[in-house]
Amino acid sequence: MQQTQVKENVIIYAEPDRCLGCHSCELACAVAHGGEGHDIVSAVAAHLPLHARNQVVSVDGATMPMQCRQCEDAPCTLVCPTGACHQAKGQIQIVEQQCIGCKLCVMVCPFGSITVRSEERHKATSITNRGVAKKCDLCVEWRASTGKSDPACVESCPTKAIKMVDVNAYRDALRLARAREIAQSHRSIRISL
Amino acid sequence: MACLDCSSCSCDPAATEMLAIAEAQSIDTAWSRYAAQQPQCGFGTTGLCCRICLKGPCRIDPFGKGPQFGVCGADRDTIVARHMVRMMASGAAAHSEHGRHIALAMLHLSKGHLKDYSIRDQEKLMVVAKRLGVKTDGRELMAIVRELADITLNDFQNQDYDQPCNWLNASLPAPRLKKLGELELLPHNIDASVAQSMSRTHLGCDADPTNLILGGLRVALADLDGEMLATELSDTLFGTPSPVKTTSNMGVLKKDAVNIAVNGHNPLLSDIICDVAADLNAEAIAAGAKEGINVIGICCTGNEIMVRHGIPLATNYLSQELPILTGALDAMVLDVQCIMPSLPRVAECFHTKIITTDKQNKIAGATHMEFDDTKASENAASILRVAIEAFRQRDPKRVHIPNFKQEAIVGFSVEAITAALSNINADDPLQPLVDNIVNGNIQGVVLFAGCNNTKTQQDSAYLDIALSLAARNVLVLATGCAAGAYAKAGLMTQEATRLYAGEGLKSALTAIGESAGMNGPLPLVLHMGSCVDNSRGVALGTALANKLGVDLSDLPLVASAPEAMTEKAVVIGSWAVTIGLPTHLGTVPPIVGSDVVTGLVTDTARDLLGGYFIVETNPALAADKLFDAIQQRRSGLGLKTYSAPALPARTKLGSRQMPLLPERVS
Repeated sequence: MQQTQVKENVIIYAEPDRCLGCHSCELACAVAHGGEGHDIVSAVAAHLPLHARNQVVSVDGATMPMQCRQCEDAPCTLVCPTGACHQAKGQIQIVEQQCIGCKLCVMVCPFGSITVRSEERHKATSITNRGVAKKCDLCVEWRASTGKSDPACVESCPTKAIKMVDVNAYRDALRLARAREIAQSHRSIRISL
Repeated sequence: MACLDCSSCSCDPAATEMLAIAEAQSIDTAWSRYAAQQPQCGFGTTGLCCRICLKGPCRIDPFGKGPQFGVCGADRDTIVARHMVRMMASGAAAHSEHGRHIALAMLHLSKGHLKDYSIRDQEKLMVVAKRLGVKTDGRELMAIVRELADITLNDFQNQDYDQPCNWLNASLPAPRLKKLGELELLPHNIDASVAQSMSRTHLGCDADPTNLILGGLRVALADLDGEMLATELSDTLFGTPSPVKTTSNMGVLKKDAVNIAVNGHNPLLSDIICDVAADLNAEAIAAGAKEGINVIGICCTGNEIMVRHGIPLATNYLSQELPILTGALDAMVLDVQCIMPSLPRVAECFHTKIITTDKQNKIAGATHMEFDDTKASENAASILRVAIEAFRQRDPKRVHIPNFKQEAIVGFSVEAITAALSNINADDPLQPLVDNIVNGNIQGVVLFAGCNNTKTQQDSAYLDIALSLAARNVLVLATGCAAGAYAKAGLMTQEATRLYAGEGLKSALTAIGESAGMNGPLPLVLHMGSCVDNSRGVALGTALANKLGVDLSDLPLVASAPEAMTEKAVVIGSWAVTIGLPTHLGTVPPIVGSDVVTGLVTDTARDLLGGYFIVETNPALAADKLFDAIQQRRSGLGLKTYSAPALPARTKLGSRQMPLLPERVS
């Protein structure tokens, strides 16, 4: 039987040198998740309880948004007691109906990219907080409903610091760039061992 | 250019024709730059970005999880209110700086320093002087001018906080003055009001959103004061507008003439250019321009000389770059405000000379020829000669003038409207207007003002709302770039009244037009002048209110800025609310991030002042809301109210075209 080669998951990648820390990606992310039919103005005016699934972080003079890296051997999927969090269709998916909000995934995520919360208005009388695990879903539903090719954060970035990266293409570009450098050096060195 | 289909950018066919050329030649315009700016920042859009100190910028998370306070401790309400007040102060500074130029010109004229200016409308000078308490009987003209200038300049100098500005005090209805006085909203000094707005919004000063917005309304009234004095004194200097037939849209450029456009706001230079152009016609003809010199207007300088002298208007704000693309514009002369810094870059692709003239308003890449009002005619002649010289460099192969222009009957100052009405009732000219409002032929009055904004297909919101309201018998007034939109679209014609006015409005406009000897109705939209001339709308409202013994907030008078853009538009809208008018904004102002501030300028304003903002980006809904506001006012006055069926929504981005088939030139 021929084995199908599994392609690596695509990731959201941000270049720290280009990120100005404007937080626009956070707003776009929040509106794209749960703000259906809204833009930023109408979502704010309607007091929608929206939350970004990414967060802009500053450290050592660099700034960039942090979000789920769609790990291939994801700790969150290993610890999830209900199977809500699992690998499927080229990304880590969380089936919110199956999630109980236990926060084990939050604790094991190496990148701090998962948050447990509710996007419904909290009712004081409720016997549950209704919190479930939320993280970057690569805007799969939002892209399907809007017909856009890029996730909301990528589209919103004024400096084009954020990209959705196909790791194969990224690796090919890396190889090509390094090969070019090495080939150039080799022509200058012209020695053989 | 990353632009959309050109017809979705503007509903002006001349503009879309030129935009296609811009696309083909890769010339950047406001629309392609707008596309490149997308998406625009959500924090700025909602007003939640504070840039007032160097600890910032601070942002409040509109969704509540992130920071709720700036580093200094300012909350969303303080941040939104402070920035809003700063916008108002900037708008007031712009209008009243224009007013100061005119007032200083009056002062210098009275001292005999200005040989090229005179009092062209002495009758108006006397009326205005009397209103401001200047004695006129048996006095030398220049003594009256001097005292009027001094009283005007006192509105920039008075230090008694409790003494209101002279022009407001002499111009608004008594009940409104009383109300504004009680709320301490009457400014004492225009400059001080601007300075105090900047001061109170500095880090660590006023943090109470209510107190801030009240301060904003005070500077907004200072803006109205500046507009009033600018309009009225300009009328005495250059003539009070009266109906004149002219043309509008880019078809006003002439292939065989030296085309010189004046762009900006202040008439001090442009009016003289109109005078001097005739003297230099021979030079232009000698240079090969068979039709001599053709002066045309853009934006509000264009409106100033259009309503006073019937000079054709080429276009309004947003399309100001496009006349250059005709290849037939030889020079564009700039004064102040709403001038795109991109003009020299666009002109680099052509022979057009871009000439700045104000020492505080220069653009890198433009030719600066500083205007000195003591040498106005010489300055104007030098500028015209630069245009003639540029004409010699014109490449005839690149000339492409869009074949669109419309007739426009313009120049409806309050004096002109009153004069037209006096043909029906000479003893009490306003009575016929009141009668028509009472009997419902005229449901009310709407004043359209404001700008263009790339967030709306150019001019489309103006046309949709005006046509919807005119069909429901609302009398339509317009100033500034609103007036430009209507002139270009052919709505300032008698034909438009016949086609689009409701039956009642049509009969009223026809009766007034016929009796004024116009052989037909008044135009559907009455052009009152430039954006500082919004004060004319207030003057008309005040005349009506005084006649009826009511306040401005009792009248079926509403204002609308469907394509608002500038800080000036923000401050105009703010004083319109403050004097009691329901005021529509078709662009969402950056206050959505604060419920408190939004509530202050809508519900609280309505309770305190009678006026309030209606923010509505959908033109069809905006028309309905304005009509409802008019009906509420009619009801308050005990007049019969009407419920006209809502008209079908006409607006669909990209599909809107100007309503009349544009006239083909030759």
